[in-house]
Amino acid sequence: MSEALDSRDGRRINNELLAQMAPPTWRWYLLAFGLGVVVAFGLYAFTVQVTSGMYVTGLDRPVMWGFYIINFVFWVGLSHSGTMVSAILRLTYAGWRRPILRAAEAMTVFTITVAGLFPLIHLGRNWVFYYLIPYPNQRQLWPNFRSALLWDMTAITTYIIGSSLFLYLGMLPDLAIARDRARGWRRRLYALLAMGWRGTALEWQIFKKASTLMAVLIIPVAVSVHSIVAWDFAVTIVPGWHSTIFPPYFVVGAILSGVAAVVTLMIILRRVFHLRDYLSLVHLDNMAKLLLVISLLWSYFYFAEVFTTWYGHQPIEWEVFGYSAAHFAPLLLLMLFCNSLLPIVGLSFRRVRRSPAVLLVISLLVNVGMFTERFLIIVPSLSHKNIPYAWGSYSPSWVEVSITAAAFALFALLYTLFAKLFPLVAVSDVREGVMLEGERSFGRARLASRIEED
Amino acid sequence: MEILGVFESLEGAMSGVKRLQAAGIEERAITSLSSVPYPEGVLVTTGYRPRFHWFVLACGAAGAAAGFLLAAGTAWIYPLQTGDKAIVALFPVGIITYELMMLFALVGTIIGMFTAMHLPPARRRLYDDEIAEGRIGLLVTVPSAAAGAGAAAALRDAGALRVLEEEP
Repeated sequence: MSEALDSRDGRRINNELLAQMAPPTWRWYLLAFGLGVVVAFGLYAFTVQVTSGMYVTGLDRPVMWGFYIINFVFWVGLSHSGTMVSAILRLTYAGWRRPILRAAEAMTVFTITVAGLFPLIHLGRNWVFYYLIPYPNQRQLWPNFRSALLWDMTAITTYIIGSSLFLYLGMLPDLAIARDRARGWRRRLYALLAMGWRGTALEWQIFKKASTLMAVLIIPVAVSVHSIVAWDFAVTIVPGWHSTIFPPYFVVGAILSGVAAVVTLMIILRRVFHLRDYLSLVHLDNMAKLLLVISLLWSYFYFAEVFTTWYGHQPIEWEVFGYSAAHFAPLLLLMLFCNSLLPIVGLSFRRVRRSPAVLLVISLLVNVGMFTERFLIIVPSLSHKNIPYAWGSYSPSWVEVSITAAAFALFALLYTLFAKLFPLVAVSDVREGVMLEGERSFGRARLASRIEED
Repeated sequence: MEILGVFESLEGAMSGVKRLQAAGIEERAITSLSSVPYPEGVLVTTGYRPRFHWFVLACGAAGAAAGFLLAAGTAWIYPLQTGDKAIVALFPVGIITYELMMLFALVGTIIGMFTAMHLPPARRRLYDDEIAEGRIGLLVTVPSAAAGAGAAAALRDAGALRVLEEEP
């Protein structure tokens, strides 16, 4: 063990990692205000939709799923990786996990919250959204669980609660640290959330067991959520969707966009909160390697799907692909560039993986590619279904674009608020890492070493 | 009654444990308070064997039953005949059963964890805010004030920065 971490190291690390919770500056207020304005405009657009009807959107027969469902699938995908990456890294005791966990887990909670809004926005008669909640209504009819909408409702509810609990569980020791350093209303808030945690040996042992158990439980939930979203498509007989490969393809796509989003957030947090000592280039390098592997996997799934369709050459399936290639060629190329070519080629180079600016651009473009991919899954298939005389197309209206922009702003706003209230880096985890890592003489060299508990 | 000694470093706390044991206090009456987890045996040994995973398992089973009743039960009670389709459709029932099973298990993990930790506490307990900054506390549970005085003396001898005693 390194020279046991003494209280000076503890205080220093606390000071550095909890500096982001300092009282807001005018820049923070300006950012929050700007994001709030975009969210408010989105609310206005939604009000226009509610009061005028769905005709203000670009949705029309045959394309009745548009930007809202594209957003839903995209945001569910983003939510996928935070918790899952965190859980996998926890279970494998990856030493470099510590500074990344909290940012990834918080991302999941906020992205799934945003995702959950879109089916409600898409409902049409939004004011009767509570019909989704299973209770007998006045006609003694219960919600029909054969509807895929209810599978989504159940899966998303489970995932929002599960990922929030996962985030809370990981934060428990840090909430106690924040409580002991805070005054006034903040102290009361953290004291309430810390539930009287003192860090006894027994509490730590139980905490570790619970963290492991939670990580084991949350991974299958994450996989099931995106599989269920994929089944929304795959259990239909719409050409382009009716495919057995859709659930794993969606899960891999979700992990790709989620890992890219975690990388984006890491780079932004590293810069904004001066966390270079904790979110080092090694962390970025490791996450970039993960992104590279997932990109390869996604490309494999995509080409497996396209190759099977091309070789089978079923007329209606091929019609959808032909329509997609003819009308959305720039989007198709953009998707392939952002999701396959750019990450696979770029991230093969160590210099790129260790360059925060370049990595930021790549991770952002991966998510541009993933949003485009969601568009290309939904719109071409619905435009050219089995009945040729009912073919059509779709482009979003200003209402849908505004609500989409508001969704991005809402996510950023929630994250900004979270960053001011709660530790964004797992303080006790990082301190544990510093305590367990050190250097050891081995022959003539001094090598990095780490203590691991069996 | 509880006595808390606060130490600057791990070495000091380790010396505290030895002095307490030399003063006749059993290890099971001593626990550490810290803001980072120390592996079992570094400071004290708890000998704890977790049992709350059985509770989590029970919660999962309850969730599976709730999910099945919600999806299949309501389909039986309020049948919606659609062509020759089954009233109880296995695929949706499987999805709802699975999701509720996992939800109950996740919530059960949190409830089980806090129950095993005896949190939140019913009364105010000894603590020092400096523990959050990296100092280490040694908490001793003693049966009497006389034993408490002995424990406090042992903690002071080991170099405790502060010794706090619970109000009788």
